[in-house]
Amino acid sequence: MNVTKTVAELCALIIDEMYGELPSRIFSMLLTRGRSTILDLEQSMEMTRSKIRHGLAVLQQYNLLYWHLDPGAQHAFYEANVENAYYLIRAGKILEMVETSYGPPAKDVMQNLLLSGQTRIGDLVVAYQERIEQDNKQKAASPDEESYKSNLLVKSTGQLNSVICRLVEAELIDLVTADTFESPDDILKKVEKEVNDKHFYGGVRGTKAKIEYQEKLAERLREVRSEPKSLKRKLEQNGSSAKRRKLLGGGMTNGLVEDEMDPALDPQQVIRVNYEKCTVDLRNRRLVQYASDLFGDTTSYVYAQLLRHLTKDISRCRLDPLVDHYGEKEDGVPAQKFVTTAEILDSLKTAIDLSVGLGKTTRKMLSKKAATAIHPRPPMMKSLIQEAEVQGDASSDEEDDAETTDDEDYDGDYKPPPLKGVNGNHGTNGVNGVNGSARADDKDQEIVWDRPNQLRQHLLILAESNQHLVRHCGIDEWTVDFELVMASMRVSELDTVIEQTTGPKGLRLARILRARGKLDEKALPTIAMMQKAELQRKLLEMQSAGFVHVQEVPREPKADVKKSFFLWYSDLDKTRDRVLDTSYRTMMHCIQVLEALRHKDRDVLSTTRRSDVKGKEEEMLRQEYFQRYKRFLQSEKMLFSQIMRVDDLVAILRDF
Amino acid sequence: MEEGEAAKVDILKNTLYDTVIQHGSNTRLFTQSDLLDLDIIPHRNLQLLLQVIQALTNDKLLVGVTGGQGGLAWKYRSREDAKKYTSLPDETTMLVYQAIDEAGNDGIWKRTIENRVNISDAVMKVCIKILEQRGYIASMRSVEQPNRKMYIRADLRPSHRATGGPWFTDGQLDGSFIETLEGVVFEFIKGRGAYHQAPGAGSGGATRIPKRGVVTAAPTVTAGTKRSAKEITSDDVTPAATPGRPVAVASPASAAAAKSARKPEMFLPMPAGYKGYPTIHDITEFIHQLGITSNTTLGENDIRQLVEVLIFDGLIEPIKVGKRRGFRALRPTKQSTIPYNIRAKEMQNGIGLHLPHTGVLPPTNGLTEAPCGRCPVFDLCEEGGTVSPSTCVYFMEWLGLEEKKKEGDGVAEVKVEAGSDGKGSAPP
Ligand code: SF4
Repeated sequence: MNVTKTVAELCALIIDEMYGELPSRIFSMLLTRGRSTILDLEQSMEMTRSKIRHGLAVLQQYNLLYWHLDPGAQHAFYEANVENAYYLIRAGKILEMVETSYGPPAKDVMQNLLLSGQTRIGDLVVAYQERIEQDNKQKAASPDEESYKSNLLVKSTGQLNSVICRLVEAELIDLVTADTFESPDDILKKVEKEVNDKHFYGGVRGTKAKIEYQEKLAERLREVRSEPKSLKRKLEQNGSSAKRRKLLGGGMTNGLVEDEMDPALDPQQVIRVNYEKCTVDLRNRRLVQYASDLFGDTTSYVYAQLLRHLTKDISRCRLDPLVDHYGEKEDGVPAQKFVTTAEILDSLKTAIDLSVGLGKTTRKMLSKKAATAIHPRPPMMKSLIQEAEVQGDASSDEEDDAETTDDEDYDGDYKPPPLKGVNGNHGTNGVNGVNGSARADDKDQEIVWDRPNQLRQHLLILAESNQHLVRHCGIDEWTVDFELVMASMRVSELDTVIEQTTGPKGLRLARILRARGKLDEKALPTIAMMQKAELQRKLLEMQSAGFVHVQEVPREPKADVKKSFFLWYSDLDKTRDRVLDTSYRTMMHCIQVLEALRHKDRDVLSTTRRSDVKGKEEEMLRQEYFQRYKRFLQSEKMLFSQIMRVDDLVAILRDF
Repeated sequence: MEEGEAAKVDILKNTLYDTVIQHGSNTRLFTQSDLLDLDIIPHRNLQLLLQVIQALTNDKLLVGVTGGQGGLAWKYRSREDAKKYTSLPDETTMLVYQAIDEAGNDGIWKRTIENRVNISDAVMKVCIKILEQRGYIASMRSVEQPNRKMYIRADLRPSHRATGGPWFTDGQLDGSFIETLEGVVFEFIKGRGAYHQAPGAGSGGATRIPKRGVVTAAPTVTAGTKRSAKEITSDDVTPAATPGRPVAVASPASAAAAKSARKPEMFLPMPAGYKGYPTIHDITEFIHQLGITSNTTLGENDIRQLVEVLIFDGLIEPIKVGKRRGFRALRPTKQSTIPYNIRAKEMQNGIGLHLPHTGVLPPTNGLTEAPCGRCPVFDLCEEGGTVSPSTCVYFMEWLGLEEKKKEGDGVAEVKVEAGSDGKGSAPP
């Protein structure tokens, strides 16, 4: 993350909002000063050491700082962990995602983990135990034990254990290890030293040695990186558990039976929320929304299933060039992952009608060849620009043109690949019989597909999209080039901002400049079909909004502004940075507005904090007070959800 | 010159002219040998040829030009045109007319003529007056240089270059014409590039619609005033309405199930490999058949220009199926199913005027919905500054805590409620 002044301010505000002023001030100080010892902080903050210690402890509890202790040194160096500070904003979204994907008990556990920061498993168990006991007491005390409705989501420590196991397997929770608090730089330094000492004692000489060195380094870094996932690996070794859990997405109906099948976790281990993996899952959700926007709900549902399978073993959105480029494997998994049609078919809910959301047409109107083209390798990045580029005759994918006459009909009889006996009755997936009758001889008749082929049609639509949602990488094999699809999504979000800020004509101009490169003002009216005066006004408006930029080109060696001509261009990175900055500041403003509202309603709010009022506000407060309280809650909710929505944009532009 | 000689030249002159016009258009250049080869001048007498040419030039029937390989050459002028020249009172006027004549349908700038003929502004005025009175020339404007006074032969129509092509009317880009056509073309592309599902056209029986995918956003209700992680939660209750794009994460349930089991009227994406996406050719043909462009004909290049604008507007996308380069509307399922002509009528009656010609509002996102995303004083806004979040009226309005200000209300009397410490002032 690029830590600008705005980001620093925003993070300080968030920490202040969540954990109070002291940690926030220390965090800010760490950001301004950079690496500091407690002595440095003491000096520059003019605070007692114990106070600072307390603040640092809070920050460490929530993983908001790095620290590093050189062997033999007396004082550790502290550094701010800006990423994690920003992620605090995303907590709500993460919880929501966990709830929908893993059920309310999982959300409950995750929420506790977010509230208390890193936690020993033992402590978590104790906390839950207390609650469960209390609940049991209430149950015993209630007049009608049978009909007592507990509002506990996690009803036994066994269930808790099982929920944690599941979240660990999903990588949403991982272990706090010795290296957790080392900053990336420190880890790199440490690993470099290790590799040097162990394998390259005499130094690295020659190209071959250099490559070998990089490989060793990457290997070691990968090891360090995957250490927090050691628990996951252990669980996975535990045989059937992973397979059984596949079925768990549905709910916790017979929870107790399953709980007992999970190994008891070591209470001494400390766990925390793994934001990296959460980001991967959030990205999936956003991609599904993107697909839904483009092609409708049913297609996006299919996409959701595809993504779920595909990202199971993807630990992070962005690859680290240092770690992931050397050696074809990422965390021991081959680089190109794919999902088969059969896998997706198996995971679709039976209640879903796949014929919904598909346009109907005749065999004659479809080119099977074009539709089912297979692309084993990802397209070059440049084809992205092509999306915006308007077709001239030059086209970069001429190999498609090798295709001759295209009147081949679509004989949609899809033959599912031989299903390996996962369990015997898969073979009868409605393929036989149905398919035969669905096959019409008449080219002019509307095609009726059976279910596997309906699924395939949705996948093919995604694969055909200009937005690179899916790549058809082998027969009935599907993958996603995340970099490409995210690039297209980023552009689409920026376009939305541009259009909403400077209108449809503004968007038009920005996209023209993006597609055509630098242009003289004179060339624009014809392409944009706009009047000169309007065009000039728009360009200036957009320039001040940071969406287009101008470059002066002198006609003569001696630059003379009057004689120079001006080239307009639109730089996506610049636009992105500008929009990010606006987003951060908007979030800040939301928090500040909330702060102001709190101040305004402080009399009401202080009353509601009283223990005798809490939970019974409606009865205890005067009518007028209660109304104000309600209004405040509503505003608070609006502001928070707005922050969430802005963060959606930030996530797309920066993290996914 | 003897009488007989003169008569001979006169006859040869007419014969040569009549033959020359048989040999090509008035832009063809004839060299000396071309003319001799016509076999009209006896004995290929060069002297005689030059005499004849001179006579024709005097009659303005031939014009000498510097030919292709540097030698002299001639082209002819129609008798009609030549008469115009000979009827002019003096050489200067003739030269001025010649300059205008030669500029063709691009026209020529007044100053260029003055420089070429080397005359003063006053003389120029006289010449122009004569020529205009006789109806030989007309003034015109070019879209390229709208401030220049230009002239063109009265019987010519200004070129595309000068008028700006079919998109210009009287030298002005015809915005409303373009917009109408954009609407029509978009409508055509949308209809041809997607499947129009009629309302309620179920396949019989209960239609099963995706319930809730793994991605469903179930609103999490939270409340409280404490600072907790729990509070930063994304209830999808967004104050600013977001038409055109659902706020909620794609949940098949939210969109489809709400409309019960009946299939809603909407556009659906075509299966991959669809060969019916309209091409530039299809669109051009459609526009011709429609006949809405009565006084201009739009070629494929004109239509391509228009289609490109639609792409730049983010409304349609090119889609290549095999060799066929077609176009389709982006986000088919989000498109309006009301046909363009009905929309146009509605708009005449004042309905839906806020909508663009697509009939659908453009997408929004979290940033553009927040007051700050549209704030005119964003750059100035800062806690402690003259404009600050804690005194922000836009937010108060947005949160519904304050009435929307009417135009003209004094900005001075801002109701600073939040944390009123007196320093509050509002953005203008
Ligand atoms: S004045 Fe209000 S709306 Fe404008 S930037 Fe500041 S807080 Fe945002």
